[in-house]
Amino acid sequence: MSIPAAVSLEAVQKDLAAAMPFAAAAGLILDTAALCANNLRFYVIFQNRQADKFYAEFDCRDYPLLPPTVEFMDEARQVRGLKHLYPNVFHSAPCVCMRYNRKAYGDLGGPHANWRLIDWHLPTPGGGPITSLALMISDMHTKILASSGRMRE
Amino acid sequence: MVAVHDVQTHPEHKPEHHRHHCLHLLVQTPRGLWSLQEPADAQRRPVFAWNSKIGLIISDAREVFGFVENDNKYVLLRGQEQLDPERTIASYHLQDGALLILSVQGGNAA
Repeated sequence: MSIPAAVSLEAVQKDLAAAMPFAAAAGLILDTAALCANNLRFYVIFQNRQADKFYAEFDCRDYPLLPPTVEFMDEARQVRGLKHLYPNVFHSAPCVCMRYNRKAYGDLGGPHANWRLIDWHLPTPGGGPITSLALMISDMHTKILASSGRMRE
Repeated sequence: MVAVHDVQTHPEHKPEHHRHHCLHLLVQTPRGLWSLQEPADAQRRPVFAWNSKIGLIISDAREVFGFVENDNKYVLLRGQEQLDPERTIASYHLQDGALLILSVQGGNAA
């Protein structure tokens, strides 16, 4: 199940038009320099109140039919998915356990075997639906602000 | 530009308040900026009495941008500082034209 990259790129760019001013106001760095039809990835640098920085990649292949894959990386974008790269407010898998994160789904090795990718617009338990890239960034920003540091290995 | 007196005001925006007892704010949300000019079709502008509570800014911004999902959490931030909905604008010494951020937080699956 996939959609043309050009369609995803258009959807991502439309969403980012709202996400960019939000990120700027919130003091987040949003890097879309490499975003194109052949590379549907952008990056956001989040920060908690202790000034710890967290580097997130949003891989938007097949968006908006399917949710992005959200993963934390090191600053150089060479190492990914390790616990110490995550703030300590997310699932210890480690994973951003939200329906908007493809990594959270059991089909792809995530902890939620009961979720279906096609239902990604549905609410994650404990909250309402998060249905755009700007809302995803907002959700992660609020949670990361409240984190006290990095996840322990 | 929409004049303050042309804008529908909230019941807590008491008409007896003189202009200098009000201030206008900028509220950036994930769906756009709320200001005296934006969004063009907004029925309400971010002009508040000093004694208004922070919670009123949150509820008005939600209404303007159609944040109807009650299960999400809505927080108002000044930089990284989360503002208490029960406190007044005056208690935070906000300046006229101050930029605040309405951040939306969803759930968190275990």
